[in-house]
Amino acid sequence: MSAAGSPAARGPRNAQDRLRRLLVMLPWLMEAGEVPLADVADRFGMTPAQVTKDLELVAMCGLPPYVDEMIDVFVDDGMVFVGVPRLFTRPLALTAPEGFALLAAARLAMELPGADPDGPLARGLVKLNSVLGDVGIDVSPDGVADGTSDVAVDLDGPAWTAELIDAVSTGSEVTIDYYSPARDEVSSRRVVPRHVFVDAGNWYLLADDDRSGERRTFRIDRMERVEPTGVIHDLDPLATAPAAFFADADLPRATVRLQPQAQWIIDRYPTDSVEPVASGGGADDVGAVDVTLSIASSRWFERLLVRLGPDAEVLAPAGAESGGVELARRILANYD
Amino acid sequence: MADRVERLTNLLAVLLETKVPMSLADITDALSGQYPDVERPRRQAFERDKLALREIGVPIEMEVRVGDEFAGQTMYWIDRSAYELDDLDLEPDEMRALQVAVATVRTDSQVGADAILKLGGGAGLAERPSVSAVLPDRPELPVIRAAVAARAPLTFEYRGEERTVEPWGVLLRGGFWYLVGHDRLRRAKRTFRVDRIDGELDVGEGDAFERPPDFDPRTAFPADPKQIGHASDDAVDATVHIAALRARAIERELGAHRVVDRRDDGSIDVSVPATNLDAFRSWVIGLVDHAEVLGPPEVRAHVVDWLRAVSEPGGAEADHLAEHIR
Repeated sequence: MSAAGSPAARGPRNAQDRLRRLLVMLPWLMEAGEVPLADVADRFGMTPAQVTKDLELVAMCGLPPYVDEMIDVFVDDGMVFVGVPRLFTRPLALTAPEGFALLAAARLAMELPGADPDGPLARGLVKLNSVLGDVGIDVSPDGVADGTSDVAVDLDGPAWTAELIDAVSTGSEVTIDYYSPARDEVSSRRVVPRHVFVDAGNWYLLADDDRSGERRTFRIDRMERVEPTGVIHDLDPLATAPAAFFADADLPRATVRLQPQAQWIIDRYPTDSVEPVASGGGADDVGAVDVTLSIASSRWFERLLVRLGPDAEVLAPAGAESGGVELARRILANYD
Repeated sequence: MADRVERLTNLLAVLLETKVPMSLADITDALSGQYPDVERPRRQAFERDKLALREIGVPIEMEVRVGDEFAGQTMYWIDRSAYELDDLDLEPDEMRALQVAVATVRTDSQVGADAILKLGGGAGLAERPSVSAVLPDRPELPVIRAAVAARAPLTFEYRGEERTVEPWGVLLRGGFWYLVGHDRLRRAKRTFRVDRIDGELDVGEGDAFERPPDFDPRTAFPADPKQIGHASDDAVDATVHIAALRARAIERELGAHRVVDRRDDGSIDVSVPATNLDAFRSWVIGLVDHAEVLGPPEVRAHVVDWLRAVSEPGGAEADHLAEHIR
């Protein structure tokens, strides 16, 4: 992971961000002695000109009686040279957000299929814990004395998750039987797995789909069978999860009045707005809210309305409740 | 005037080097010419710099001097042991594993990557990890974790009520962070969605409580909402017929031990926890017309009543439900 694309490389850089970077860069340069300017720039997500400007600036810093010799650094012919300094030999201690970010990332990685509970990550976590300002080392339930059982991650992937991650790393094509709620059918297809990701508790496979000829996203818990075909494809080292997976401003919207028992959906799905129903609307609406949410698919919305039942009332658009009514009648036919 | 980076660097240097706490007058003497001469703008410029240094994590200490001719003056210094990162002695494979972990996490912030750079990692990874996970980023989390470690109670607004909670841990499940702890108002263990906490967290004094010794946030509440009941002896299982189209997936979800009958057409009957009737009903409806509740009779009747209420909006069933089912 290079830090390229970090905020420093884009937009204007304020003094605070420049100093923050310098305080990380200087100890690293001192350790290295001399480093190609391009490597420094790449590592810290800056342009070579920005690196040069900032290093030349700190080289001029100094206080009596050490004017100009506090930080011995110069840039020449594409190389950065750093002498033995008086100050800034160690990076700043981790901030609380940095410590938490590392801990949460490590905890999460430990929960992924195939993680080794005694491997380098677990060992690194123990060492990290010593600088996180913890009091008392706990023994976490799996017996790792890393003192981090106060931060837990539960990912709980469906069946096939580990196999699919393996298939991504080897480029192995697989046949999947996949249930599509939109078509309400199970179909068989050959796909080349490219990336596995988890978002909001659901696991997804990004894969090249032979049916559509496109890269598609599949929910792993809707797969009914996964079998390698034996065909190996070239890896795609750039494949990664799509950005902003669920954010879509173009989706149609509906406004629904929710009684308290139905308000769990606010926690579960993206909403545009949540407005308490003004008092005076009648005793029926005590504690009710009006929620505007995006309709990712009409099937999903029908199902949601039947789940919410009498605890939800569609306010807009007119007629949006008809899908739910139809679905309830179709299910009821089973009970005749 | 000099570049602000230069002044900030010099301010940091003077506060790191000083053997004794310094007043603002001492500091501006040492940085001669870098702060305005006039008292008010000088104080304002210094306060801005002090805030900037604190925001990047520099622990600037201060105290008001008492008892001598400098009494009343504010003195400043940096605690060097708190300023510097301890050497972690990470082995190369440990550093790389942490780096891969950070690369695996998808979040809006750069904080994890910045931390890796501080630790001396950051040499490019040869390839992207095969797997990634979206990790919601909440500013409350570092505060909560510090309170857990310090055994300090937290007070905050939650669903319109002020709650004081002894925090035991945090858990990421289903895409949300939860705070688990003892709710002093309810006098019981409670779980709170961190992103639903309103406003600021107020952190109380440390060492204020004991955490249960074998506490694990993962077992603090059941992962399957259908199993959440009031007591273990009123557990209810329902029998549900699953059509062939969904049978394989449902058997995998529940486990083969939950299958009570297999039909020739590929459909199955399964036994499912229905202790939490709301969660059970929601699960069954998610299977649309590929599922039918066979029994017990009162569970089947509940689902039928519910569906009738939806299929006849405004009808008598809806009113009946509103009055009797709750």
